[in-house]
Amino acid sequence: MNKELTPRYIVIGIILAWALYALLPSWKYQNLSEDEKESLRESGQLAQLESKIIRQGLDLKGGMYIVLEADIPLLMSNLAKNKDERFENVIKNVQEKLTAPDAEFFPLFKQEIASTGLKLPRYYHEFGGTIEDIFVQLEQEADDAINRVLEILQNRVDQFGVSEPTIQKQGKHRIVVELAGIQDPERARALLQSTALLEFYLVKGPEISNDIIQRIDDKLKGTTEIDDLVASKETLVENELKESDDTKTVSELFGEEDVNPAESNDSLLVDDALFAERPLLSLLIPMGTDYGVNEKNVYAVKKMLQNPEVMSIVKTAGGQFMFGNDIEKPAGAEDQPGFYRLYYLKSTSELTGGVVEEAKANLGSLGGGSAGQPVVSLTMNSEGARTWARVTGANVGQRIAIVLDKKVHMAPNIREKIPSGRTQIEGFANINEAKDIGIILRAGALPAPVNIIEERIVGPSLGADSIAQGTRSVVIGLALVLVFMVIYYKGSGGIADFALIWNILLVLAVLASLKATLTLPGIAGLILTVGMSIDANVIIFERIREELRKGKTPKTAIDAGFSRALTTIVDANVTTVIAALVLYQFGTGPIKGFATVLFWGILISMFTAVFVTRTIFNSLSARGRMNSLSI
Amino acid sequence: MRFIKDTHIDFMSQSRLSGLISLFLIAAGIISLGLNGGPKLGIDFNGGTMIAVNYTETVNIEEVRSALANVSLDGQHFDFSKAEIKHFGDDSNVAVRIATLDNEPENFSQKVVGFMRSIFPDKIPENKMDFILSIEKVGPKVGAELSGDAMMAVFSALVLILIYISIRFEFTFAVGAIAALAHDIMITLGFFSILGYEITLAVIAAFLTIVGYSLNDTIVIFDRIRENLKLNKRANYTDVINQSINESLSRTIITSVTTFFVVVILFLFGGEVIHNLAFALIIGVIVGTYSSIFVASPIVIRMHENKQD
Repeated sequence: MNKELTPRYIVIGIILAWALYALLPSWKYQNLSEDEKESLRESGQLAQLESKIIRQGLDLKGGMYIVLEADIPLLMSNLAKNKDERFENVIKNVQEKLTAPDAEFFPLFKQEIASTGLKLPRYYHEFGGTIEDIFVQLEQEADDAINRVLEILQNRVDQFGVSEPTIQKQGKHRIVVELAGIQDPERARALLQSTALLEFYLVKGPEISNDIIQRIDDKLKGTTEIDDLVASKETLVENELKESDDTKTVSELFGEEDVNPAESNDSLLVDDALFAERPLLSLLIPMGTDYGVNEKNVYAVKKMLQNPEVMSIVKTAGGQFMFGNDIEKPAGAEDQPGFYRLYYLKSTSELTGGVVEEAKANLGSLGGGSAGQPVVSLTMNSEGARTWARVTGANVGQRIAIVLDKKVHMAPNIREKIPSGRTQIEGFANINEAKDIGIILRAGALPAPVNIIEERIVGPSLGADSIAQGTRSVVIGLALVLVFMVIYYKGSGGIADFALIWNILLVLAVLASLKATLTLPGIAGLILTVGMSIDANVIIFERIREELRKGKTPKTAIDAGFSRALTTIVDANVTTVIAALVLYQFGTGPIKGFATVLFWGILISMFTAVFVTRTIFNSLSARGRMNSLSI
Repeated sequence: MRFIKDTHIDFMSQSRLSGLISLFLIAAGIISLGLNGGPKLGIDFNGGTMIAVNYTETVNIEEVRSALANVSLDGQHFDFSKAEIKHFGDDSNVAVRIATLDNEPENFSQKVVGFMRSIFPDKIPENKMDFILSIEKVGPKVGAELSGDAMMAVFSALVLILIYISIRFEFTFAVGAIAALAHDIMITLGFFSILGYEITLAVIAAFLTIVGYSLNDTIVIFDRIRENLKLNKRANYTDVINQSINESLSRTIITSVTTFFVVVILFLFGGEVIHNLAFALIIGVIVGTYSSIFVASPIVIRMHENKQD
């Protein structure tokens, strides 16, 4: 072997050895059976192995990608004291303007305050005396809130038990959560989005509830809104088809049950006259001492309760309406629509969940009313226990509603004073729900509610399909190109093929060691790299052929070919590198994966073409006098 | 083996014809875009919900559509029959795309999945999670932001590349290259519009790749032109360009063919998820190769002639 070339072979050998070493864990992992994985998991080695393999994106593994945005307007509104209509209007305007792309809360808030001349210190006196001071404090509050949200979500997800979750802040008020291999997206979503705001409210007595419903009906009766409801009955079918039309709620009110009262379980509106006279009451049916609302009517009832005049009646009466958490179905009517309880509560809470120290899900003990039912047992801190003792002691015989995220879980009678601060929440659909509630109560309430603004879920079967299809495409594409090169360039094609395989191994090795994520578009990038990386070799080979045609010897042709081709290769590939970098900057998840593969694919292909292929050519031509070149 | 022997094709004399072809393709695309009210944007940019589910047996799209005409979620009534409903991959999979609604109930996507499960109760996979292939939900604000980002990305890539080519070559070359790029993107957009393909995030990625690829091709030719101009200073400009294209023709064709192979395979075997991306790449490879010869080079000549006058 030529002495000059030895260092080059050493470099090539080292890189190859490194690539194989970097890919070894992935190879090992790929060949593990489920049982072997299980035993490795038990010995704690699995996580270590998993950290060294090529990470698969959610689109391949299956999983959930969610972007949450903290409700900053609500947080600010919660922080404000002495709120009045002017303040609410400002917040409302800001909320509307926030829907514009890239809009942020604080600049808009500042603008709105300037244009309306709102006296900020009136509402935020504890945050400072001047608008500037207050803003500094409020922005700090928002930052703190989002950081706390981040921490709490992390906590919840950790307890939920997902492998390698990522939870990151994105921009100022957003959080990106990635959960791989999630089996139940609904549950995961609830876990993330739940504010975990636990509150205890006294339930107002039946007479007071009846009275307020009477007053609401008096207000609603004969209003054009209700007239419209009745009048629109005939035009029902038409209205049903207009999705965005507000009258749709009306059509729902008069759903098919109305036409066929026999099937309606006597719960739905049967009587036009009653509806006209008592719009709200006609949609309620008694359930014990509570009212129930048919699930099909929930939307209509909500609409009525959201009527501004109704809201002000309820507010001045110091009360509020809240729905129950769970749908209830009469025994033996499981296929019938169910009912939600509607509670009338005091407007101020007696106690909130901040006092909860420990929350555990279990099955209710025998003997109690909740035997065998999933329950969450709470332990409160001493301050909470004192308040709880006082509240329960002062209201024996009354009902207290346990409310989580504005939904009533249960409203038991207070039988006696509870001094210990221990209490139980019932009303869960299953033990998993109880467990999740336990988790979120332990992790604490979110300081600001969060909304899901983007959500992408890939089911496990689609992910598996994508891997299979992606791999198949890579293999077929690669085989085609390999065969083509050998046919077209003969021996030199073989060298190019070697470089190509080397290239792919190296790209994968780089992905594995950079802990970059391979996504489906990333696999597409890999295939594209196969097609494009051959280009560098093609440019070189064509150049060598040209030089050979000019009558040069193989050795000089090779030298000339490589040196002339070099600038072309670099110039031509830099543009794709630029495109890949821009893509990486702009893209999320899958697209980033594509950009990463493209970027490394091109860089490595340049390297293999000008270094690896060249070395092989040189050693061929150096081996004595070379008379012909297989190209 | 050699496909392309020494060729002496006068490509530049064909520039009138090729110009007409390009104009025709671009015009067709613009007309289609005009008729369809712009490109067909996916939910990534428009916002909305896209749900793909997997039944165990073939289902009829029209049955799904009529069922979706009457959906009741939380007592709210919806008619989704006008939504885009199609098979996803094979005939047992269905994808539904619903625009953002003003009055969306909580956990909307999950509820729609629940409803879709109830349409064919006996065609549901045993494992609950196998029913959902994918759910994508993008809020209107995020969609608008992604559109802005995408435009910004394409734009900044173009600017950066323009700068790079201006540094490495003459400015006229940069103009030729960018014109070729604009040409490629316009035609690809046009094909997307005519064939009813959706523009998604992945398609934008494909566009940027086309940008890179098409330039790659253009630059190889430009490089040859630059080299030949140096070697032969007194030669006729058009002749040099023709000669350079002929000299690099073999490489152009081989690379295009291998790349074309692999993107076609991606299109055929890569699955539904990257169908649009692969489609954009196929069009891009063809148009990108064509434009380096028939768009970029004639423009360089035209600008050169103007400079001489």
